[in-house]
Amino acid sequence: MAEHDLEVQEALARDFQPAMEGPLVGEKRSSHAIAEEYAKADPIYVAKTAALPQKYSHYRPILGDGNCGWRATGFSYFETLLALRDAARLEEEIARLTSLNNLITTVGGVEEWLFEDMVAETISLLRDLVTTMQSSPDAAEQLLLQRFNNPEVSNAIVYHLRMLASAWLKGNAAIYQDFIHGDLGVEGYCKEWLDAPNQEIDHLGIMLLIDVLLKPVGFAVEIIYLDRSAGSQVNSHMFQDEEDGVPTNPGSPIIHLLYRPSHYDILYQDRSASLPLQQPVDDVVRSSDIQVNRATDFTKHQIVQGSTTTLNDFSNLDMNSLLSIPGFCPPPTPSHLGFPAQYTSIEPSYTGSQLSASISPVSPARSPGDVSNLSVSAGFPSQQTANLISPTLPPQHPAQNAFPPSNTQIPIHGHGPRLHPISPSLPAHPSLSPHAPDPSSPSSASSFRPSKYEWEAAADWQEPVVFQTSTFKNSHYNTAHYNNPNFQPEEWNPESEEAESSRGRKRST
Amino acid sequence: MSAQKRIAKELAEVTSNPPAGMIIGLVDESNVHNWDITMDGPEGSPYVGGKFKLLLTLPVEYPFKPPTINFKTRIWHPNVTFDEQGSMCIGILKGDTWKPSSRIMNVLIATQNLLIEPVPDDALETSSAELFKNNRPLYEKEAKKYTAQYAIGK
Repeated sequence: MAEHDLEVQEALARDFQPAMEGPLVGEKRSSHAIAEEYAKADPIYVAKTAALPQKYSHYRPILGDGNCGWRATGFSYFETLLALRDAARLEEEIARLTSLNNLITTVGGVEEWLFEDMVAETISLLRDLVTTMQSSPDAAEQLLLQRFNNPEVSNAIVYHLRMLASAWLKGNAAIYQDFIHGDLGVEGYCKEWLDAPNQEIDHLGIMLLIDVLLKPVGFAVEIIYLDRSAGSQVNSHMFQDEEDGVPTNPGSPIIHLLYRPSHYDILYQDRSASLPLQQPVDDVVRSSDIQVNRATDFTKHQIVQGSTTTLNDFSNLDMNSLLSIPGFCPPPTPSHLGFPAQYTSIEPSYTGSQLSASISPVSPARSPGDVSNLSVSAGFPSQQTANLISPTLPPQHPAQNAFPPSNTQIPIHGHGPRLHPISPSLPAHPSLSPHAPDPSSPSSASSFRPSKYEWEAAADWQEPVVFQTSTFKNSHYNTAHYNNPNFQPEEWNPESEEAESSRGRKRST
Repeated sequence: MSAQKRIAKELAEVTSNPPAGMIIGLVDESNVHNWDITMDGPEGSPYVGGKFKLLLTLPVEYPFKPPTINFKTRIWHPNVTFDEQGSMCIGILKGDTWKPSSRIMNVLIATQNLLIEPVPDDALETSSAELFKNNRPLYEKEAKKYTAQYAIGK
């Protein structure tokens, strides 16, 4: 590191004062608080911290007592394990960490009776999380926070981690010894940096801890460096198992740590809780599928999810707004060819509905060859639509009058506002705002996420979309359209659509 | 609780197999944090023949913070303050070098060795440290004198 950098770092270390009192591990809070801390600081800091909450909604402050990096990583390890809601996984970790005692005695050279009580705290926390988690996940989270704020327990766990890192270094000296500064050597480094109880974690320490604790359980770690280097975005580095630069486990949970000179805090990317106004809606969404929030994913979702339960859940959401987005139709891509088959397979579960039978002039058996020319109505078979809407109709509603079969497509697709009386779920609109899958939510643990980059993309999309009026909804100023990959503003023209109506539509080949 | 468990194990180790010339017990049976140690002045040192009472205090944060040792019997030594406190400075017990995996047994042995081999560069008492470095016979004479005065027959 250049001397100048060191000076800058030292200056920053003087400027930034991590909390020296208060809880060892704080409550999760909005990361806007970090930006506020720096509001009067260097302009580069201000820019970087202002951008921070957009990507990382929350942070958790860790006490700056010389163990913050160890404690932050340790806490995140337990918290991420807990978020998996997988008792078997926790049991595996109990077995793995118990077996690592052997490493500490044989390679680390510490007699077991000297450290067994520290390991016992780690193991007992894992065990208690298993039992508590099954009855109440919230209580398990509270238990974790409480144990980590009990100095005796917390320090025992942290020291257990130090001993693991120390033994891991001794056992893999060839890999790491070049990272040791000066002429300390492996033994000297262990003594000075790892074994001393209040010595701050350094870069090698973090590497060791990730390698011994987190990589084997499949967790990746992203460290976000908040320093005064040029740029308006924070620098970050991802630590994960890689093969030729490609993550071997791309869907793995990611722990985010915020590094400020000589201090670590925890960052979170979950957005759901950051927008409290949306809470009730989010719960509905979470119970169905998180992907439903993203209009771009809607078509994919149809392919992945064939179950009728999910489709019923859609009735809680306002699909009319999606339909009224101009150009909202599946793209003429190979994946689209699967649609007719998809809808055919769903069909039996809905044939019993009087409404769907009466208003489905578009044959679900439309051949794949027509696909590339499907307009909005055809791309979204009205049979499907009718089923989405029907649960919101009062049972005795004269459905046939409201939707004359001959006229079905136009009112549904061309004139969203006319459907409003039967869409009490209109307030659900804010749910269309972005939010990244919440790592702590049970559904995300099992939801299919083909690539981690998709998650990043979701997190990068910031502004909540609020549809205020139906006019605005259809306006080209409505930014929601940009999330539809097929949106082509110049192609949509209200007049021409009116003129074409069903006549033009059906003629198109 | 884990601190007390650890201390209990350490106490069991040193009482069942104490270092030569040491008697170890608790000051108060109900408190494992204060140990009462009687150490014979080791052979090969000017302190031989003396019986030194030490108080070993284990902090509540033990083993994450080091224990402290005070000489209750006055001792004239470069690394022990020559006053009622009798504070002892020894590398193994310094905050930045203490390791929670250190054993009290080793602390006691190190203390015994310190009486045989003072560390004048780390001295708390400069006068005895100067003598130890520059005039060993006079140092030995002074140490014997104070041992006789404070540590023999008391």
